[in-house]
Amino acid sequence: MAASRRTTRRTFLKTGAAGLAALAAPRGFGATPDLKLKKPIKVGCQTILSGPLGGYGEFMRKGAVLAMEEINASGGVGGSPLELNFRDEELKVDVGVKNARYFVDDWGADFLIGIDSSAVALAVGEIMPTLNKILIVTHGATEKFNEDLVYKKHIKQCFRICVPVYQDGIASAFIAKDLPVKKWATISPDYEYGHTSWKMFRATLKRMKPEVEFVGESFAKFGTVDFSSHISKVMGAQPEAIFSTEWGGEAVTMVKQAKLFKVFEQTKAFMIAMGSAMDVLQGLGADYPDGVWASGRYYFGYPDTPQNKKFVETFRKRWQSYPSYVSETSYAALYAIKKAVEKAKTLEIDPVIAALEGLQVDRPAGPCTIRKEDHQAIYAVPWGRIKHDPNFPMPILGDLRVAPTDEYYRKPPFPPVEA
Amino acid sequence: MGRVLLFQGLVGLTEAMYLWLVAAGLSLIFGVLRVLNFAHGALYMIGAYLTYAVFRAFGGNFWVALLVGPVLVALIGWVMEVFFLRRVYRADVAFQLLLTFAFVLILDDLVKLVFGPVYQSPPTPRSLSGAVMIFGSPLPTYHLFILAAGGLVALGLWLFLEKTRWGLLVRATAADREMARALGVRSSRLFTGVFMLGAWLAGLGGALSIPVRSISPGMGELIIIEAFVVVVLGGLGSLRGAFIGSLAIGLLHSYGIVFLPVFELALAYLVMAAVLVVRPWGLFGVREA
Repeated sequence: MAASRRTTRRTFLKTGAAGLAALAAPRGFGATPDLKLKKPIKVGCQTILSGPLGGYGEFMRKGAVLAMEEINASGGVGGSPLELNFRDEELKVDVGVKNARYFVDDWGADFLIGIDSSAVALAVGEIMPTLNKILIVTHGATEKFNEDLVYKKHIKQCFRICVPVYQDGIASAFIAKDLPVKKWATISPDYEYGHTSWKMFRATLKRMKPEVEFVGESFAKFGTVDFSSHISKVMGAQPEAIFSTEWGGEAVTMVKQAKLFKVFEQTKAFMIAMGSAMDVLQGLGADYPDGVWASGRYYFGYPDTPQNKKFVETFRKRWQSYPSYVSETSYAALYAIKKAVEKAKTLEIDPVIAALEGLQVDRPAGPCTIRKEDHQAIYAVPWGRIKHDPNFPMPILGDLRVAPTDEYYRKPPFPPVEA
Repeated sequence: MGRVLLFQGLVGLTEAMYLWLVAAGLSLIFGVLRVLNFAHGALYMIGAYLTYAVFRAFGGNFWVALLVGPVLVALIGWVMEVFFLRRVYRADVAFQLLLTFAFVLILDDLVKLVFGPVYQSPPTPRSLSGAVMIFGSPLPTYHLFILAAGGLVALGLWLFLEKTRWGLLVRATAADREMARALGVRSSRLFTGVFMLGAWLAGLGGALSIPVRSISPGMGELIIIEAFVVVVLGGLGSLRGAFIGSLAIGLLHSYGIVFLPVFELALAYLVMAAVLVVRPWGLFGVREA
């Protein structure tokens, strides 16, 4: 526990310094030079906008719109204004592929961003060479996207600006190793994301703390409205702690039902990898049990830098809500596009890809580097414990802990995960 | 292990109760009106939303909302039957399907317009957020309440059909529509009444779901598919079949999660297919002459 605290402080100081440096840099200094690119630059964004997980898409849209408004107010991208278009991904592979084709072939998109589902991210990623546009994923988290599609199959058009399942499956184990529990179980989604996170969590935790046991698991289908049978199955194995990667409205339902089944009284720890997403914090409100460990792909209270504070304030003024993590990732994606295009001084694919590789982006979540080998953005996101603070309209995270990115981001050549 | 499995079964039965309320109305309407109401899941959804709206309007009193919400759904049922369905009784089955499916789309979009596309999650009533120890594990009080509510509805429907004059007319019409009419049963009023009762049952299912489940547009589609499986399994038009069918699907689901998690979704369909091979008219259905 002491070790992780120490890293927290170090990372914190580092990011704080970088944040200040970013602020000192000539941001919005004069008008952006006119690169005489095509006008406007079109960005197609697809995200989940309906159903039990639809809250995510709303937050993603708000972050992207905010970035577009800021960028356009200060001269656009190389003198060209940004134009956004949104479509509902419905978390369906066929819909996702159709949306991507529509954006590029019919609407004339220059860039694609968004995508919540891992399966959709993989399917759209596969067709990016045909469409030959750059895709920046802002949510879908499967490691297969950067490890297989980009690193192994060399699909260079694919990028990801959000932290992948390393946050859910590896950074989580850095927290879990210090908790006074040995018997773990999971209730997680029955698709790529849920299975892969649980596998990474088991592998990492077992390596750091060999005495742990994994006593139960239940995977719920997409669209589950009643987790009762999953909860009773897992609790039947008498775990001391629950690890879950349920998200959005399904996480809200699961926590409500777990409370009814007195799971929080019967276990000593509960972790929800995407539990600090704003729609979960707001959706559960006062019902969110104190002390649940939660994380996301950005948390509005971290890092404590002027740049992050400014983003949170601007977002609140614009949308009357705190930003969720997908708001930050879509915001960061548009700024990454701006920076890369202005560096490449063209919209041609290859130079822009080259500009994105290794690019440093100073985003609200802190400074990040887009790794050249697998086109994955590297930055740190904290885990923390749910607490209720009267100064905030929703529960927030306390006791923030950050694992060092160097240890929790898997690295090329990406050895197989053994669990 | 035995106690854990018994508890798992009990949890499966609570999930079966929501299904029973939807399947009961679906089966009743088919039995009497001979219309396969595709919009029955949408009525379940509307029941959840209207109850939630009443819940918010009346300062968060769940019990008032639970009484009012399903009645509003019955009134929507009245509009559907009197102004629309009545015109297609003599038409081809395809027209009935088209009409009721149109209602699914209209009601889904209406809910999106009024309540937004994102899920809502009302709080559980404090009086029912406790738990009772059964088979060594805590079972939520709300789940016990659901079991009781589903059982009471079953008992109430049985008493209504077997012991009242209206019930007799419903059974007579279901058995032989022409003969009942010849004997002076005013079928149009009976049809409206039965459709409203079916809508009320679906609305009640939706209303009961809101404290524990989150509600969202499209939630009706999930349950209508399972309700169709139940009704086909139990026998079209048979309430007893719908009841037993719901319990069977609930238990299959809940034990499927324990023993055959990879296969759990397909399980219900496999059982339905197996039953249909042996008894094409369902477990409690009547063999058509």
